[in-house]
Amino acid sequence: MRFYVFIASVFCCAFADSRKIRGISSSYKRFYRERKSFLCIDGSKLIPFEQVNDDYCDCEDGSDEPGTSACPRGRFYCTNLGFRPHYIPSSRVNDGICDCCDASDEYNSHIRCQKTCWNLGQRERAYVEGQMRTLDEGLRLKQQLIEEGVLLWREKQAQLRELQQKAEDLHLKVEEHKKRKHQADQHKEQTLKTLQAGGAGSRQHNNTASGLFQFLDNNKDGSITVDEVQARVVTIHDEKRLLSENEAVALLGGGRQMDLTMFRHTLWDTLTKGDNVKIRDTNAALDSPVVEDPLLMAADRAAKWEATNLKKVEEAYETVNMEISDLQQKLAIDYGTDWEFLFLNSQCYKLQVYEYTYTLCPFNQVTQENTAGTQVSLGTWGMWAGEPKNQYSQMVYENGEPCWQGGSRTATVTLTCGTETALRSVKEPSKCQYIMDFQTPVACQPVLKQRGIHSEL
Amino acid sequence: MASFTERMAFVLVMALCLSGALAVDRGNFKTCDQSAFCKRQRALKPGESPYRALLETMELTNTRLTLQLINDNNKVRLLLELYRLQGNITRVKINELKPLKPRFEVPDVLVREPPTEPLSLLSQDENGVVLSLGAESQRVIVSARPFRLDIMEGRDVLMSLNSRGLLAFEHLRMRKDTQADSEAEKKEEVDPANPAETTKDEDDKDEDGMWEETFKSHTDGKPNGPSAISLDFSLPGVEHVYGIPEHAETLRLKTTDNGDPYRLYNLDVFQYELFNPMALYGAVPVMLAHNSQRTTGIFWLNAAETWVDISSNTAGKTVFGKMLDYVQGSSETPQTDVRWISESGIIDVFIMLGPTPKDVFSQYASLTGTQSFPPLSSLAYHQCRWNYNDQEDVKLVDAGFDEHDIPYDFIWLDIEHTDGKRYFTWDPHKFATPKEMLQGIMDKKRKMVAIVDPHIKVDSNYKIHNEIRSRGFYIKNKDGGDYEGWCWPGSAGYPDFTCADMRSWWASMFAYDQYGGSMENLYTWNDMNEPSVFNGPEVTMHKDAMHGAWEHRDVHNLYGFYVQMATAEGLIQRSGGVERPFVLTRAFFAGSQRYGAVWTGDNAAEWDHLKISIPMCLSLGLVGISFCGADVGGFFKSPSSELLVRWYQTGAYQPFFRAHAHLDTPRREPWLFGPENTALIREAVRQRYTLLPYWYLQFYQAHCTGQPVMRPLWVEYPQDPATFAIDDEFLIGTDLLVHPVTEEGARGVTAYLPGKNEVWFDVNTFQKHNGAQNLYIPVTMSSIPVFQRGGSIIPRKLRVRRSSTCMEHDPYTLFVALNPQRTAEGELYIDDGHTFNYEKKEFIHRKLFFANNILSSINLAPDAKFSTQSWIERVIILGASKPSKVTLQTADGQESQLEFEFDSSMSVLTLRKPGMNAGEDWKVMLQ
Repeated sequence: MRFYVFIASVFCCAFADSRKIRGISSSYKRFYRERKSFLCIDGSKLIPFEQVNDDYCDCEDGSDEPGTSACPRGRFYCTNLGFRPHYIPSSRVNDGICDCCDASDEYNSHIRCQKTCWNLGQRERAYVEGQMRTLDEGLRLKQQLIEEGVLLWREKQAQLRELQQKAEDLHLKVEEHKKRKHQADQHKEQTLKTLQAGGAGSRQHNNTASGLFQFLDNNKDGSITVDEVQARVVTIHDEKRLLSENEAVALLGGGRQMDLTMFRHTLWDTLTKGDNVKIRDTNAALDSPVVEDPLLMAADRAAKWEATNLKKVEEAYETVNMEISDLQQKLAIDYGTDWEFLFLNSQCYKLQVYEYTYTLCPFNQVTQENTAGTQVSLGTWGMWAGEPKNQYSQMVYENGEPCWQGGSRTATVTLTCGTETALRSVKEPSKCQYIMDFQTPVACQPVLKQRGIHSEL
Repeated sequence: MASFTERMAFVLVMALCLSGALAVDRGNFKTCDQSAFCKRQRALKPGESPYRALLETMELTNTRLTLQLINDNNKVRLLLELYRLQGNITRVKINELKPLKPRFEVPDVLVREPPTEPLSLLSQDENGVVLSLGAESQRVIVSARPFRLDIMEGRDVLMSLNSRGLLAFEHLRMRKDTQADSEAEKKEEVDPANPAETTKDEDDKDEDGMWEETFKSHTDGKPNGPSAISLDFSLPGVEHVYGIPEHAETLRLKTTDNGDPYRLYNLDVFQYELFNPMALYGAVPVMLAHNSQRTTGIFWLNAAETWVDISSNTAGKTVFGKMLDYVQGSSETPQTDVRWISESGIIDVFIMLGPTPKDVFSQYASLTGTQSFPPLSSLAYHQCRWNYNDQEDVKLVDAGFDEHDIPYDFIWLDIEHTDGKRYFTWDPHKFATPKEMLQGIMDKKRKMVAIVDPHIKVDSNYKIHNEIRSRGFYIKNKDGGDYEGWCWPGSAGYPDFTCADMRSWWASMFAYDQYGGSMENLYTWNDMNEPSVFNGPEVTMHKDAMHGAWEHRDVHNLYGFYVQMATAEGLIQRSGGVERPFVLTRAFFAGSQRYGAVWTGDNAAEWDHLKISIPMCLSLGLVGISFCGADVGGFFKSPSSELLVRWYQTGAYQPFFRAHAHLDTPRREPWLFGPENTALIREAVRQRYTLLPYWYLQFYQAHCTGQPVMRPLWVEYPQDPATFAIDDEFLIGTDLLVHPVTEEGARGVTAYLPGKNEVWFDVNTFQKHNGAQNLYIPVTMSSIPVFQRGGSIIPRKLRVRRSSTCMEHDPYTLFVALNPQRTAEGELYIDDGHTFNYEKKEFIHRKLFFANNILSSINLAPDAKFSTQSWIERVIILGASKPSKVTLQTADGQESQLEFEFDSSMSVLTLRKPGMNAGEDWKVMLQ
């Protein structure tokens, strides 16, 4: 850098001294070679050379007065040795305000300008060096974050795959449980039907002697008792009437109980013939007894169990699916070419400005909270909105809380290069339009390195 | 039929749109019918005047005539005073002969007790008296029964007073004991079959609204009872009347027969409507009447709520009808009748008899003073917004102007800059180091304006409040406590600016050691000084609030005038009387021109609002207030970039040039609309800056003579009826005619170029056009149609810099536009631009004169002394022929040849770098 400064100073001094054309850069020297006449740079007019910088504007393009304020469209070149040279509008020559740090613009005004180029240059260099350091450090951090981002991205992808696998498994499980539930439901239904058939004289589930015996043997002790007969056998003439004890004893062949073998040969025949007695009609009178029916209850329990199981599995499946869609949504956001912005998702950054605390949760939302704790949404994640060259330099959060005169709050976040990730400033230049400066290493761009003081000295 | 219904549908939709989103809530403001005294007075029928002059009571002294009038209905006597004032003005004062208590007479508005001229008696009989008004065979005839005044010149009646018999003077009276009695009495007496009878004796009866009046939820207790006054004026031969601002109305006032009268009552009107007679922020009770023979004026010096009715016998007649009258020799002379009604006070009216518009301006200026001479920089561009948020914001906007190479002189801070709307303070966070900020602005040779409103937060920790309260300077409510109303800070008190002690205390608050954070480049803006009271009747103060012995009713329209007066005095005092103040006010009254600038209040970003800025400022100029502007871009709503550009182009040619925007609108600094629009705005602002020497001269002249800066065409072409109603173009001084583009999507404008033997030069192309024609001018977005009058010389500074102060020592370019006689003249005025030293003759005032091919600079003020570094860098002569030689002769007699260029296609001669000092004598001879 020092080398450039040296070269520049040699050039400028040499030419400026010999030609005394005020207000031009060395690259324009060739237009101002001392001859009899001067051709306006736009070629529009030929004037005597004495009229260059004579404080009267002859050329439309202002090129005859680079060193005075005479031309409305003119410009003055500040050499600014030790600092950055630059052009100022001619109107700032001798206007009583110091614009060039070498004081060259105020050569004929009341004001005394300090020559500040060396200081400014030093400061600028320190600043630029600082910037460079920041940039270097930022880029290093960015690289890390990119690597982390890639890892994170992979991790998230793996997580997604895992979840998808899980979902697939759960899907199978759901299918299986659906089947099982279906079976259980069917069994329950059948049990119920049998029960009903028994009551209505249907023989669906009572068409074997042992079956009917079991049906009658309510307490499952292997023998039918008077009570049990009374409970389920009625005369065909009067279904509603409970059999008397004697009638029941008669049906049991005179005893108070009867085993299966005996049943086969006696009561079974009587019941299947159905001349005098029959099994009580379930439809008519078996409401409660059926519910209490152990077979049915068992079947019901099994069905419920399967339903619960299915629900659980289904819920698990749904949850996983939601996780998947969440993750997919997250992963669908553009996190930069190397997923370097991915880590910002799920983070939040706060900054207090006057009486408000602002919170930026990147890719999510921006809020403002006052000292009383009232929170207002300034917008939810909208999109990247940087210029095409660097679209990742700006984010927009939209559709925040509505504003008094229509529209809703929006926040525009500008990302700048820094070694830390932090919210740096928040402004509201117009009502409900927030502008935030968000510093983060991932905003550091290698191209920045080519700008700054290097090329211009 | 289809098209008719379509159109109807369109009209309906439009009406809905208008009544919906953006329109004033008319219900918040009174109509004449809702204002008891207006309703009472307007109900009077013409031709039944109960007033009779008692000629035997006449007394004529050297300076005045006095005479008693009697109301034959109630026998109450009035005292008429008639004065002949110097400068062709007649003053008529009518008060009760013996009022129960004094009636309010407006103080402080007249610059002095107007000097009188002798009146003499010409003849007298039992029917009346004829007095000579001195010059030009002017007479005033006082007729006795009914009382009537006619002012004559030769055989022409110039103006008649009470010719329609609408003089009314509600005398102060004791309140009848009980309301019930009077009600009963009234019922008894009202005879519907014979209303005329009852009208005649109504003076003695109580009517609704005489002792109490309720509007919406507000009750106006009227301890003094009815006190309204009214008088009619007839203007024979007059079809055009102007003035009585402030109304969002065309330049030429309309007749009011079919609606409300024009109302003068300073009000904070939210989102005002255009083209109607509703009252706005300010009131100047001055009307001008004009025809091609004569201009006259009526100045009704009364500060109470006032209504003005206008009727005309030709109104409503079509052009064809008028022609028919003419052809058939119908002899009815056109006549305009005007009637003023005020709620209280006395009749004190100044009849300015012209005869030319210039005479009327001088006459009015002799009464209420001229436009204050503003600091040069305040004529440049002002950048305002509600609000620039903090010091950083101010810095960025300031830098933005430099970055985009747009000049500006003032950046403004609205109410948010204060610490909780406590004026004279700064927000401790956002504006923590105001002096640092002001210094930063000063380093760029720029300035700042901060708002100071007259409502004071009621807060015992606020020094200003405590002082005002402990000194008893607040306006009192009717019960004697400090009046409190609701405004920006919440509960607020209102200092009594009608009190001189209060005003001097207020002025002292602007001292640098009192107003912390202020510096010499900080100036002041008085807003909300109608006064605005959010929870008051019609958003203003209760009429029964007390200013010492007087009711607010009596002084209402004066409040804003006094606020600005005290503030301007403060800015003068803080500099030890050296520096000229700059104070912008929203409310105003007759005489407000002495204290600074006004703007047209809270307008909107709409094309019609842009258009109406022209008649609104023209009307103000006619009544002395030249320093007028409208918020560039429109305050409410957001302008399209086309509207914004057009508004900059218009505003650049209006006296007070300030962009302003509502808090809720998106930012609109000039560079936010793309590079093309930025360039267009830059060019408009630059044109303003090149013309600053001309603007400054106009204000110097306005300050010296009272002539308006921004003028309607008829003022300069009073005999050309084609100019009488023009209000889409205007003149700046006499020499620049501006027809800004105010139509959306305009492809061209038609400008009327006045003057039969005049020529006008397009200032951009130098094309010459003849006068007395309608000229179609094709326009693009960059066009601002402006013409320089042939026969004029306009000095400009073409080196446009960051701010006007940066241009102080810059050289001049003289634009000499020749008339057909090949002559031209103009003036050049130079001083330090900001102090009162011009009063000590520290200035340069030169006449620039071109005749016989010699352009010369002649000293108009040989006794004045000032030196300038500025020189003449270029002379551009429009309509010239090619000379063979051009010689410059300087004061010391030295001669030198000048280089020149001649453009034969446009006949433009440019003299290259003559180089003479602008303050010296010189001659340039073309051969």
